[in-house]
Amino acid sequence: MEENLSMPAKEQFAWVWLSTMLVTYAAYFTSVFTIGETTALTQIGLFAATTVVQVLVIGTVSAVIAVRHKGGPQSDERDQLIDQTTVVQVLVIGTVSAVIAVRHKGGPQSDERDQLIDQRATRAAYQLLICGMIVVGCLMPFNNSGWRIFHAAVFSIAVSEIVRHGLMVSMYRRGANG
Amino acid sequence: MANLRLRNNLRLMRFLSNEMTQAELGERLGVTRQTIAAIEAGKYSPTLETAFRLADIFQKPLEEIFQWDKESA
Repeated sequence: MEENLSMPAKEQFAWVWLSTMLVTYAAYFTSVFTIGETTALTQIGLFAATTVVQVLVIGTVSAVIAVRHKGGPQSDERDQLIDQTTVVQVLVIGTVSAVIAVRHKGGPQSDERDQLIDQRATRAAYQLLICGMIVVGCLMPFNNSGWRIFHAAVFSIAVSEIVRHGLMVSMYRRGANG
Repeated sequence: MANLRLRNNLRLMRFLSNEMTQAELGERLGVTRQTIAAIEAGKYSPTLETAFRLADIFQKPLEEIFQWDKESA
């Protein structure tokens, strides 16, 4: 609880995103390389399962963080809801809360420092994503096809997201000035 | 290349204002307590608007709260 009080909500969100992305994408790409050539259904199922796990984990933890930070949108109502629900209901509420948090950019207690850190991290991640997309969209089609290109695109997105949240965590730790 | 930094007396100003807490100042300023802590530690330079609002809260001139410190790297 003490850690919650010493860390802004946005930093906690960044930690959740970073750890979830690292674990789920590590599992995903390990599976992809282990399985090798397989059916389209298996490939799609693997990707869908990874995405569902990410949404559920990030959604649930984000909802708990939002509730614990006073000043978050509708925190009283969420508090009461979570007190009265089962684990399954928390998962559903968490997912919905995450969508709401994303739509209301800023989330609970987002201030100018949070926005500055977000902007800097997003800019760096965007440049990385563009480089990845150039490779995937302009170079890979000449030598590769099908699922290789798909996985390369997912890899590019995963790396840019991990870098984005990694940079956010890093800037929160060492300060936004440097 | 010159390393330009902004120093501040925020901690002292809070102390002189009936030992105002970081959370109280943050609430009045519309930022988080962690941002106040980051400003005090010199890890974050606030926007000009926030700096002027700080001066307004403490009823002091801006240069009494923030000092421009130019030192070589």
